Formats: sequence, structure tokens, C-alpha cells
Amino acid sequence: MPEFNWTLRGRCYKLGHDVPHPGGVIPAFYITARETDPAVLVPHLFEETDPGFHTRSRPGDIIVTGRNFGMGQKGAGYIAMQALGLGLLCESMSMQAYRAATAEGLRVLPRCPGVLEMCETGDDLEMDFLKGHLVNHTQNRVADFEPVPVALRELIEQGGNAGWLAHWQRTVGAQEQARGEARAGT
Amino acid sequence: MGYTAIEKVLGRTSRDPAHRGGVRAGTLLYPEPDMVMIHDALVKEAKREMDAAGIARVHNPDKVLMVSDHDVLYGSARAAERGAFNRKTAQTWQIKNFYDAGQGGHGHIFPMESGLVLPGMFYFDNDTHSTNAGAVGAFGMRVGNEISRVLGTGTTWVTVPRTVQLKLIGKLQEGVQARDIGFYMGREIKAKRLAFDLDYRILEYGGDLDQLGFGARVALCSTATEMRAAGVFVPPSGAILGYCRKHAKRPFEPVYSDADAEYDAVATIDLSGIEPQVVLPGNVSNSADIAESLGTAVDHAFIGSCGSGMYEDMLSAASFLKGRKVAEGVRLFIVPGSERSTKRMLADGLMQIFVDAGAMVLPAGCGPCNDAVVGPLASGETSISTSTNNNTGRFGPKDARLFLGSPATVAASALSGKITDPRGVSQDAALKLAMETAYA
Repeated sequence: MPEFNWTLRGRCYKLGHDVPHPGGVIPAFYITARETDPAVLVPHLFEETDPGFHTRSRPGDIIVTGRNFGMGQKGAGYIAMQALGLGLLCESMSMQAYRAATAEGLRVLPRCPGVLEMCETGDDLEMDFLKGHLVNHTQNRVADFEPVPVALRELIEQGGNAGWLAHWQRTVGAQEQARGEARAGT
Repeated sequence: MGYTAIEKVLGRTSRDPAHRGGVRAGTLLYPEPDMVMIHDALVKEAKREMDAAGIARVHNPDKVLMVSDHDVLYGSARAAERGAFNRKTAQTWQIKNFYDAGQGGHGHIFPMESGLVLPGMFYFDNDTHSTNAGAVGAFGMRVGNEISRVLGTGTTWVTVPRTVQLKLIGKLQEGVQARDIGFYMGREIKAKRLAFDLDYRILEYGGDLDQLGFGARVALCSTATEMRAAGVFVPPSGAILGYCRKHAKRPFEPVYSDADAEYDAVATIDLSGIEPQVVLPGNVSNSADIAESLGTAVDHAFIGSCGSGMYEDMLSAASFLKGRKVAEGVRLFIVPGSERSTKRMLADGLMQIFVDAGAMVLPAGCGPCNDAVVGPLASGETSISTSTNNNTGRFGPKDARLFLGSPATVAASALSGKITDPRGVSQDAALKLAMETAYA
């Protein structure tokens, strides 16, 4: 397996404060319909505020948001972000929004105070999620934030909950199962 | 510095022995849950995700409680298929504690009533309203789709939430109920008169709590959950502990916050100053004194949900409906929280009262509160209910107007066909009195 890329370099896509998940990130319909297919979701990312976003975004681009990102029902938008290879830096986001984002394997930092002020849409950003180090090459500025916690690194490296579960089954689950069957004499 | 209740409970269940006495807010850990709960609306997704990962079995089937409460009537072929899938999955996973449609009731009510959820417990749940466990001093933590990880591997990560404390002082006025306290709190937070941020916090109640019975304690859990609390904690009274001991299906040890525990914020509400509240359409924090919406005509009313589905709530509704008729043109749904309550309603004569009044009694479960899989509204209609929230479109059409009130307010309004102050409507004295001993 190739080494996981913890550093993203790409363009900044800047949003404001209090952007809700339904509507602000992806139309509510796809959330309530529990749509999980990236192919279906990608064309609708930021559709209500910036139609065609997906045609302009490139892998490595970084979404930078203000406070309280992603309130409300959530999930589908992070699937689309992950499919597009994007990263996410928020001044703040709720724990449940953070959970939903990491469950999809998104490279995300939920506590980046001041990040909004030091970036503009289109800036050339380089973010090391493992160190929490951000370089804004356009503005020649740097900042350090809390990195991805050690306890969650494997989850992100395995591409989120589904990937992590498969990894767990290969490395731990299968052995546990074999031990259990040996005990049961089957 | 002492620990809050959640800090102690998560410390006890942490895989890290260093956490045993308690674990500070903000710590990320992997707790060993006492129980894992999943409901009918998410079994299929969890099963698929586990199958895709090659995980054919549940880590510890004996810990799992699988409940059917979101869709028990199967109003569509799709719902029936889902039910069949769930039954088969329960068998494959060897889940003994599987409460199928018609067997248990609401997963955030009947397990507390029947001693499956007990003081001091910690469990993982896919659903947000697991916070109801706080009514008996337990913690149920929502992990959404990650329930597949918990089912497969036994745990998932948790960050210990911070706790805010709300002290309830004084006595409620006649005709004001525990749901009104929650609605009032929501409006005070929205208006910034109450400096609470409930996002991923535990809301711990304090103050004059002994006056609040089991049903009232459940009602206290509702609004905070809609305002994104990670949990609610109502320190169990002697009466609650007595009930739990009587029904306990396992040993338990109640947990309380230390006197010197660190709270994120502490505030007080004077209960005697609260009027009956009606939540105006759009959000649970849109509450106002009932005077503001009095006389609004309603087409639809519903008493039930995890916020108001306790036996006290049924008794409250019956005390207004006895010997009266629901207004012409209004459809009233009554949904008990458990099959246990349904049986009691039959034995105690409540069922007769409801049927005579022209109300429709649905099987125990979520009822219309699950995005109106039953009992939706038509375009332009108005509802008043005890649902957990009144977000736009919750009962179907986006242009339907959804009000929330206490069981007393909803019952009084269903009788008159318009939003009505329950303080002006007489109640059957015996049924009202029975509320005090509903869970003796």
C-alpha cells in the first residue's frame, strides 16, 4: 500500500461562518435520502451556492471555513469532498460534524482559529495534517493548528469508517474469529 | 478537582486503566460499552457496511439491543422489506435482545422502563435521542453510521464531553409540564439570556428535582438533544433508584457528579415563572408563552415521541380527553412509548377514553415523529404535537405549520380545534392524581 499522503497542496476555497451542511454544503435532499454514492453526490457539492464547483475543483484543494461549519443533518457532503480529494480546515465545527467528516476519511482539522483571516479563495496552500502546519505560499504566511489526533490517524489513513473496518477485519478480526472458532472446536 | 458524572462513567468504561477513577473532558478514548443499541432504520446500512468489510459477526451479540420503533406499521412495501431484512439480520447476528415491531416499543423509552438501561450505564447508539438515558442517570452516546464499527469491533472513539449544569428552582405552576421547561430553556438560550452552548455538551440538571417523576425526567431530555447536546444527566432520585432496582435486569451502580466537579457553565431557572410554552414553526428554540399562539386553528395533533411517550404523558392526555370529543376536523394520534404502556392503557381504561374521544391510538414506537412515516400532514395544514422537533418538513409538506407543546397543551388544543391554554380546561382528578404514581 502506498504511503498515505498527509500533506495536501492546492488552492484555497474560502467559506464564511455558520455554513450549514444541508443547503450550504449539499442540497438537503441527498442527506435525507441517505445517498452515499460519490458519483451521485459529487456534482451537487456546494450546488446551491456555487453550481459547477466540482468541475473547477482539483484534488488537493483545501476548503477553509469559519466558525460552526456544517451544522444540521450531515454526512453526504463529506463523501463528495473526499471523492474530490479535498481537505478541510475549520475555525470550528461541531463534534458530530467532525465525526461525520472523519468517518468518510476526510483530512480535516476542526480547530483552526484565525485560519479564515490568513487565506483567500485561490491562494496556494500547503497543509500538513499530521503536523498541523499550514503554509500560505501566496501570502507568504504560516500557521500551526492542532494536528489530526494520533488515535484517529489510522481511521483517516484507511479512508474512513468503511476502509478502517476492512483493515481491522484483515488485521484483527480474522484472528479473533479464528481463535473463537478454535475455542468452540469448530 | 472532582469529576462530572460523564467523566466518571467514561473513566469506568475506558480501555485505559489510568482513566478508571474519572477522565477529563476533552480526552479521546475508546470505551467498552455496557450495551450497544441499533434501531430498525439503520440495521440495513450497518449490515451492508460490515459485510463489505468482511465482518460476518457482531463482536458481542449479548450486548446488543436491536429495536424496531421507527417504522412498526410498514405503510409501504419498502418498509416491509426493511423489516424482513432486520429480522433476518437479528438471526444472522444471533441477537437475543431483538425487540421486533409490536414487541418492545420506543427504544429510548421501554429499555428504561423494563430495567435494560440503568443508572451509571454507558452505551453506544446510532440515534441522537439516546440522550433519554439521562432520565435514569445513564449515558447513551450517538455515533450514527459508526454503529457498524461498534457492532463489529466492540467500540469506537469518543471525546469526553464537557458538562453544563442547569439548576431548576421552585415549583411549576398548575398546567405547566416538564416539556415546557425544555422549550423555555431553548428560547432562553436562543435569546442569549441563558449563556449555554449545548453543542456536544452534557446538560446536567440540578436543584429541586425531587418533584419530577420518571416521565418528567424523560421530557427534560428532549429539547437539549435537539440543541445538539451529547447527553443529558438528571441525577437519579430515591424514587428513580427504587423503580430501577425493582425492574433491573442487571446489577448497576448509580453515578453522581462530585461537588467540586468542573462545569462549563452553571445557570438557574425559576420554574414558578414558566408559562405553558408553544414552540412556533421552524425550530425547537422558537418557543414563546402560549398567549402568542392562542386560537391558532389546528388540523392535526399528536401525543407521543421519545419526549412525551411515558405513561404519565398518556395519563395527562387522558385526564383532559375523558368524557370529551376531539374537535371536528382534527385528527389526534396517541402513541405510547412502550407495549408495556399499551397494556396498562387497556387495563386502566385509558384506551377506552381515547377511543371514545375519537383519538387514534397507534402502536408503541416513534409514530409520526419519524418523519411522518405514519400520520403526515397535507400541504398548508397545521399541527400541534409533542414531537421532538418541528423542523420544516418534519411531517411532510414544507408549507405545513408545525407547533410543539406539552401533552396537556396538545390535548387541550385537540379538543377545541385551536391552540388552547390547558390551564383553562378541567381535568379528571383521579387520572391527574395517578400521574404522581405512574412509575411507583
